Amino acid sequence: MTALIEFTDVGRMFEADPPVHALRGVTLRIDRGEYVAVTGPSGSGKSTLLGLLGLLDRPTSGTYRFAGAETTTLAERDRAALRAGSFGFVFQAFHLLPYRSTEENVMLAEVYRPKGRPAPPRRGRRERALAALERVGLGHRAGFRPDRLSGGERQRVAIARALLGDPDLLLCDEPTGNLDGENTQVVLDVLEELNGQGLTLLVITHDEAVAERAGRRIRIADGRVVAGGPEPVDNPSPVDHQFAGDRPQWP
Amino acid sequence: MAMIEKGVPPSRFGRAVARRSGTGTRISRSDLVDESLSAVLARPMRAALTALGTVLGIATLVVTIGIAATAGNRIVGRFDELTATAVSITPETTRASPDDPPLIGWDAPERITRLNGAVAAVALAESQPGQTPPVQANDIKDPSAVTARTLGVVAATVDLPATVHGRVVAGRFYDAGNVARRDRVAVLGEEAARLLGVTRLEDGPAVFIGGEPFTVVGVIGDLKREQALAASVIVPPTAAADRLGMRQVTRVVVDTRLGAAQLIARQAPTALAPGHTDGLRVLAPPNLERARGAVEDDVNGMFLVLGLLCLVVGAVGIANVTLVGVMQRIGEIGLRRALGASRRHIAAQFLVESAVLGLLGGVVGATAGMVTVVGVCVAKDWTPVLDLGLVFAAPLAGVAVGLLAGAYPAWRAARLEPLEALRAT
Ligand SMILES: Nc1ncnc2c1ncn2[C@@H]1O[C@H](COP(=O)(O)OP(=O)(O)OP(=O)(O)O)[C@@H](O)[C@H]1O
Ligand SMILES: [Mg+2]
Repeated sequence: MTALIEFTDVGRMFEADPPVHALRGVTLRIDRGEYVAVTGPSGSGKSTLLGLLGLLDRPTSGTYRFAGAETTTLAERDRAALRAGSFGFVFQAFHLLPYRSTEENVMLAEVYRPKGRPAPPRRGRRERALAALERVGLGHRAGFRPDRLSGGERQRVAIARALLGDPDLLLCDEPTGNLDGENTQVVLDVLEELNGQGLTLLVITHDEAVAERAGRRIRIADGRVVAGGPEPVDNPSPVDHQFAGDRPQWP
Repeated sequence: MAMIEKGVPPSRFGRAVARRSGTGTRISRSDLVDESLSAVLARPMRAALTALGTVLGIATLVVTIGIAATAGNRIVGRFDELTATAVSITPETTRASPDDPPLIGWDAPERITRLNGAVAAVALAESQPGQTPPVQANDIKDPSAVTARTLGVVAATVDLPATVHGRVVAGRFYDAGNVARRDRVAVLGEEAARLLGVTRLEDGPAVFIGGEPFTVVGVIGDLKREQALAASVIVPPTAAADRLGMRQVTRVVVDTRLGAAQLIARQAPTALAPGHTDGLRVLAPPNLERARGAVEDDVNGMFLVLGLLCLVVGAVGIANVTLVGVMQRIGEIGLRRALGASRRHIAAQFLVESAVLGLLGGVVGATAGMVTVVGVCVAKDWTPVLDLGLVFAAPLAGVAVGLLAGAYPAWRAARLEPLEALRAT
């Protein structure tokens, strides 16, 4: 297995009074093709971790190698290129543009392209977006406005958008946080299927049922990894690293 | 452990390398326009209201500049067009001997109307004060009867009604045939007709000028210039020469096109008496251009300031709405950054959006302004002067207003950190 993500002793401190250490000393490795769930109590630093992983934010300490290349020294423009070319994002709030149809929302993923690579032709973008909607089982919802869709359908549109850029890694922050049980199952089925096709997945969740579907579970608390890190286990089936009592930092 | 400061600028060298190797992300121009247009068109009513200030500003400017260009001379025309279009030429010196050929001949109207800018001209021979032949309604020497001691006698070519903008109120004006046949006919000025008691022309009344009978063929009134003719008896030059000894042209009156008076005043002497222009005195209206220009500049200046003020209000409106839009779309900004948009791309999007609003205001405002100018021209019977430069400059001015207004909101949008923006919902 080749390492996609290598975090070494990463910390993220926010300037405040007193300073907030949202993450500290996080060492983590995620391989290609993994399906990782990140759990932890509210305020433990999960979203902060996702921001760092997706190059939406910079760590204040430590190093982050993505696909073998150091990212912490990259200029903002190159980080933007990596975001456009290598990451797909799915958020709890969907972040769909209300004034655009479903396939137009998906097509947005091809608007900003990395300079170095040949950009996919503008012609055919709609067809590619429709194909991405098919992949998440929403071919029949093309042309709909997001406000006419159910929550689960909206999140699948967001997943289709994340897929259009053909990312190396799909980062999901509470993808089922706004969904009921039935919609959650549909979204999780889609994610599992994508992972089956070889896509590397990292899902942040509060929900143990969601975390159980992942191949590896990382638990963080108070800005530290308390279980599941730093290395992938040899057998990437759901393992129970449940808090072995080694870090009794939460009740 | 390497400490990385957040937002450390890369070294100059690193930046230069990054530029050269073409890293970063790009957005095609058509995508940028698409993204901005669809954001504006998503809320058409809001876009229309936002552009309203710019519409008013551009329309005011177009109307002010358009009317100023069209009206030009017309404003003065309303008040003293008749003065501004009258030129008269008088032979200054009477010839040494009456046998010398006169300076101005009776063909003066033909010579003058050949000039570009002359509308009509009439040659007159006016009786000298004190030498005016007495005019009477009949040949009976009745001291109690009204004798028109004040009536003038004028020999005039047939162009007189056209030149003085007079109206023949009864009968007709004598024509070229009367002149050629040396007919003894006369046309009375309205006032003269009243004084002489001539009310009906059916039975061919006669007036006696210096004892010579002339048949009255018409009455002329409503004189817009040369009002003294209203109290005169007007006779053809041939009969006047035969019977009254009035042979020499004493004055030529020219009706010019508006704005051509100065030109005619300069050219008329040569046309009338080539080689003897020194002997002619020309009376032209004062050149009103300068005085009028000052007044117009004041009025136009006021409207221009008003228009610019509207534009400023329009710009503030666009800036305000765009800023509100940025605040409402923070999540969208975060998403675009996550999809690979750079700060520059975000700024460009909001700049183009506000430029589109400005362009909308410019196009609608210019159209409204043009329609107003044409409407005013139709109502006033003017020829509209539509400056093509203005037609194209107005929408460009709208775009400039939009870009200016969008600068601050675009900067605010670009400054947002992607993670912060995504956090806001
Ligand atoms: N910009 C910031 N400035 C100061 N503190 C911050 C900032 N962003 C996050 N934090 C703090 O960092 C900690 C971790 O936040 P984070 O959003 O990562 O938590 P989380 O695990 O995602 O929580 P939740 O499950 O509620 O989403 C929190 O205590 C939060 O208050
Ligand atoms: Mg969170």
